[in-house]
Amino acid sequence: FVSHQVEILDWETKKQLCFLDKVEPKATIREIRLMFHKLYPRWYPARQSIKLDPKGKSLRDEEILQHLPVGTTATLYFKDLGPQIGWTTVFLIEYTGPLLIYFLFYFRMTFVYGLDERFTSSPHPVVNLACICHSFHYIKRLIETIFVHRFSRGTMPLRKIVKNCLYYWGFAAWLAYYINHPLYTPPSYGKKQINFAVIMFLLCEAGNFSIHVALSDLRRNGSKTRKIPYPTKNPFTWLFYFVSCPNYTYEVGTWISFTIMTQCVPVGLFTLLCFIQMTVWAKDKHCTYLREFKDYPSHRMPIIPFLL
Amino acid sequence: RADNGYGGQQARRRKGPGPLATGYLVIYNVVMTAGWLVIAVGLVRAYLAKGSYHSLYYSIEKPLKFFQTGALLEVGVVLFPGIVPSSVVLTAFQVMSRVFLTWAVTHSVKEVQTEDSVLLFVVAWTITEIIRYSFYTFSLLNHLPYLIKWARYTLFIVLYPMGVSGELLTIYAALPFVRQSGLYSISLPNKYNFSFDYYTFLILVMISYIPIFPQLYFHMLHQRRKVLSHTEEHRKSE
Repeated sequence: FVSHQVEILDWETKKQLCFLDKVEPKATIREIRLMFHKLYPRWYPARQSIKLDPKGKSLRDEEILQHLPVGTTATLYFKDLGPQIGWTTVFLIEYTGPLLIYFLFYFRMTFVYGLDERFTSSPHPVVNLACICHSFHYIKRLIETIFVHRFSRGTMPLRKIVKNCLYYWGFAAWLAYYINHPLYTPPSYGKKQINFAVIMFLLCEAGNFSIHVALSDLRRNGSKTRKIPYPTKNPFTWLFYFVSCPNYTYEVGTWISFTIMTQCVPVGLFTLLCFIQMTVWAKDKHCTYLREFKDYPSHRMPIIPFLL
Repeated sequence: RADNGYGGQQARRRKGPGPLATGYLVIYNVVMTAGWLVIAVGLVRAYLAKGSYHSLYYSIEKPLKFFQTGALLEVGVVLFPGIVPSSVVLTAFQVMSRVFLTWAVTHSVKEVQTEDSVLLFVVAWTITEIIRYSFYTFSLLNHLPYLIKWARYTLFIVLYPMGVSGELLTIYAALPFVRQSGLYSISLPNKYNFSFDYYTFLILVMISYIPIFPQLYFHMLHQRRKVLSHTEEHRKSE
């Protein structure tokens, strides 16, 4: 074979950062990242963006050198993505926060509602129910993060986690404050409203979990390639007939049910923001599916059947 | 290369509006320019008639509300769908803060309508908007006089701090009246399980000016250097 040479330039200054001699044509970008990391220990592979074009997209680890449009001497560009943090770690931090923060309010810690109300408990059963549901939701998410999810990209920029945590933790504190407040008012339609909400909550949680398992099964052998998700024997997955991202659909459903259960405006606001955020993600995912698969079911909508 | 004036961001997929959209945009911008001119003329006439610059708000109250609120169209119909490549977030933010000041502060707290700080921001907004909308109009017609471009990217140096001062002083003046009347505030217990203190909210809004205003100001200064020096080079090469 003809051995290749690879030079890597800084994407902004175009300064040559390294020159790799005698590179195998079948070398993957992952191997090149490892070689680059040896020369620059500070820039571990996850924070290296290697691209063909200074302003282009980052090349994936699996790409093979000889399949790139570069010839035997390749010029690649490097951009530092900044400190990275693994997705699993991100989710663990993001989800443990709300779980624990809610308890601070549920158990009415001293500094929350004042000394007179400390460690008291609410006379309303729905408050206990809300705590159980909220905790269940986040414990389920933590379990999924550890055992179910298979991430296509390993890391995210460290800076983003501060912003994300502020958002999730802040909202958790805000809604927990009102639900567990001594002056909390239970739902207007009483038991009927609460029972309806609980059933809806359980169905949506089950649905969400089913979708996550189904998506995870698509990548059972550890591959990172995308496949079209299809309905399985599990009835909850039949939502795939109508939407591309039923996991988001069910998630919004969970939060709607929680809003109905607690009849609390901050919860409603959080639900609205979740809905907006997930619609954006769903549309994005939907477009990606349409682009990658010519035979993608055309009647599917991103998040709401027939509508959105 | 057609620079329709909204530039600053890279165009996403479309390179500027088509001919029909351009037509509508020109009409919109002409109407807005005219509107703010009406406000300017109204201010001047009222000043001449009254002999003093106090309490001029009442003479331009209606057109101010109409045309400032009209800017929401800009955000919702033009920028958000991406008809023109420009920063939605920055403009949306500015329009929201203006609309907030117009309705939630000046209109809602009647006692501040006689404050001089109101005149301060109304004058700043009026001059800024007349220049801005005529800038857009001329850019869309591909015939932008250098004077307008210069004015848009230079006068803000004075007008921006002037407007911000007027806005902050007005909010500050409104505070005691909000506290007293409990305006827009709701307390527990209530069936929505929600509480909101408008007084505290206004204070937070004032505090938010501290990080936000310098960022916007320096962004505009940066834009100024880019746009005006680019024109210099272009002229030199002719």
